[in-house]
Amino acid sequence: MDNLFVALFEILSFGAIVVLVVLGLGIIASMMGIFNFAQGEFVLLGAYVTYIVYSAGLPVWLGMLAAPFVVGALGFVLERSIVRRFYAAPVVAMLGTYALGLIIREIVRGLIGGLYLSVPEPLGGSVSIGTMHFSTWRLVIILITALVMIGSYLLLARTAFGLRIRASLENPALARASGISTNAIYGATFAFGAALAGLAGALIVPVFSLFADLGLRFLIQGFVAVMVGGVGSFAGPVAGAGVIGTLAAALPWIIPPVIADVLVFVLAIIFIKFRPQGLISTKGI
Amino acid sequence: MTETTQTTALRIPLRVSRSRQLQVLPIIEIVVLVIGALLPLVLKDYLTVYATRVLILCLFALSFDLVWGYAGIMSFGQAVFFGTAGYGVALLARDLGVTSILLVLPAGLLIGLAFALLLGGFLLLGRHPSSVIFVSLGTLTGSYAADRVARGWYYLGGQNGIPSIPPMSLGSYDITEGPVYYYLALGILVLVYLLCRFLVRSQFGLALAGLRENEQRIAFFGYQVQRLKAIIFSFAGAIAGLAGSLYAFHEGFVWPNMLGVVMSTQVVLYVLFGGSGTLIGAVIGTVAIEAVSFWLSNSYQDIWPIILGALLLLVILFRPAGLISLILSERERVGNFGRPPGKGDHGSS
Repeated sequence: MDNLFVALFEILSFGAIVVLVVLGLGIIASMMGIFNFAQGEFVLLGAYVTYIVYSAGLPVWLGMLAAPFVVGALGFVLERSIVRRFYAAPVVAMLGTYALGLIIREIVRGLIGGLYLSVPEPLGGSVSIGTMHFSTWRLVIILITALVMIGSYLLLARTAFGLRIRASLENPALARASGISTNAIYGATFAFGAALAGLAGALIVPVFSLFADLGLRFLIQGFVAVMVGGVGSFAGPVAGAGVIGTLAAALPWIIPPVIADVLVFVLAIIFIKFRPQGLISTKGI
Repeated sequence: MTETTQTTALRIPLRVSRSRQLQVLPIIEIVVLVIGALLPLVLKDYLTVYATRVLILCLFALSFDLVWGYAGIMSFGQAVFFGTAGYGVALLARDLGVTSILLVLPAGLLIGLAFALLLGGFLLLGRHPSSVIFVSLGTLTGSYAADRVARGWYYLGGQNGIPSIPPMSLGSYDITEGPVYYYLALGILVLVYLLCRFLVRSQFGLALAGLRENEQRIAFFGYQVQRLKAIIFSFAGAIAGLAGSLYAFHEGFVWPNMLGVVMSTQVVLYVLFGGSGTLIGAVIGTVAIEAVSFWLSNSYQDIWPIILGALLLLVILFRPAGLISLILSERERVGNFGRPPGKGDHGSS
């Protein structure tokens, strides 16, 4: 019984990590219609910023706080200077952001080499309930993921900024005519998606360590999750990430990890084939 | 209304015939062929070996150019056909002792074809027409999954792959790396190139180019768009398989990277850089990138991937039609009667 709870906790915390990583990707894909292949590298940068702050002798949580802002700012600059040129075609956007991601990843690889750098958890130890022990930091990740999800939802659904984003998505020409600067909105949305990736990277670096392919590890998983959930809404990618993350974490308990890993993708692709609109097909929020 | 239709109908053959007056493309092709044929005479032995590898990669690049440059299918996992064929012939050689060139090359071709039929059939055919993003993600995932399987499966050698494959043989003669293998690869490349050239200039090829430019319009003309895509995808898979089997015997070993995302994106880079939608562009792109890679690999090994990324970015931003567009007029890039690829709604559906 205890083992079951521990397993469920493992699965839940991994699912939360995938949701956190995919959220930014899903927002960019849903609200802007492009698949950002550099998203994994934004996760990597978030982790790297945290490491830099930590290795400068400052507390880890400060680095984690700085990561979303630094990565978000970089995302804004990249969107305004390069990414906006890719909007004409989805495949060009895919290749262009892939190239961007490749450059970022290789620069980081050049800086850290092939090392696995570790960053400590700001809150170590574990919480005990009876004979079961749960890692405090993983609990914190689950909690923060929930908060970020609620926060992002409120931002998109309840604020004037969210309304402008949705208006720009729904009908760019009309939005511009109504005085909304769609260019600025795209920049801000991309920056917001990048900031979420930065936060994800910062939070998961104590769990996975920092290495150059950290972002790559989640990239394909992220895309598949977004497609499974359904592009075009906020809820879709979150639901997709939940399903993919849970499956990816749960299956290795039952079948060999390699088969589990491949099976998740095969199942996901078959699902998308027969339900291209995804789990949640409503547009909007 | 009828009048307009007639003028357009008259104009199209005119443009085709005018483009045939300009003969830059055949000149480039002949120059490349002559250089290719003379190269082993001037190169040192170890460079001939490297050049052979590049020729095989050219063959692989052709397969990607067919699906992306001509049909507008973003196959982001083309290496899965290259790699499975490589693994397939490696297993044939290791476990069954089959190394005859007359058996292993067709075997590689068939393995590539079979996998492409499976994956292409699943991704491209069916009741819902597949979006370009779905196809690219599907192929990418296929390539990633194959990589994972190869890494995790002890029978396939895991991380290390399958080492020391015996050389390919013709009767009792072993075809080892060097000038003989070079000319073998060159001969196959030229043959496949000519076949592709014939194909893309046929009615079928024009339908493909139309598909790339405006899928809906081609569908309205009564073409079975999805079937066209599946056919060219499988054909390209067979070429990739052939390249994979040549590569496996040339290197003497196969390893998981041959199947995976790295190899898959490398081929995208070759074709985009040289110029997608022209067959010779794929060849020139591969040679250019591999040559620079070889030159830089000694001194600047660490920054080479960064340069590669930057090159890709620059090409996408400023030269979507690739290097070849510097010397070749827009009109002559055969089968492309409109916007340059990469601009407008290229590939969108």
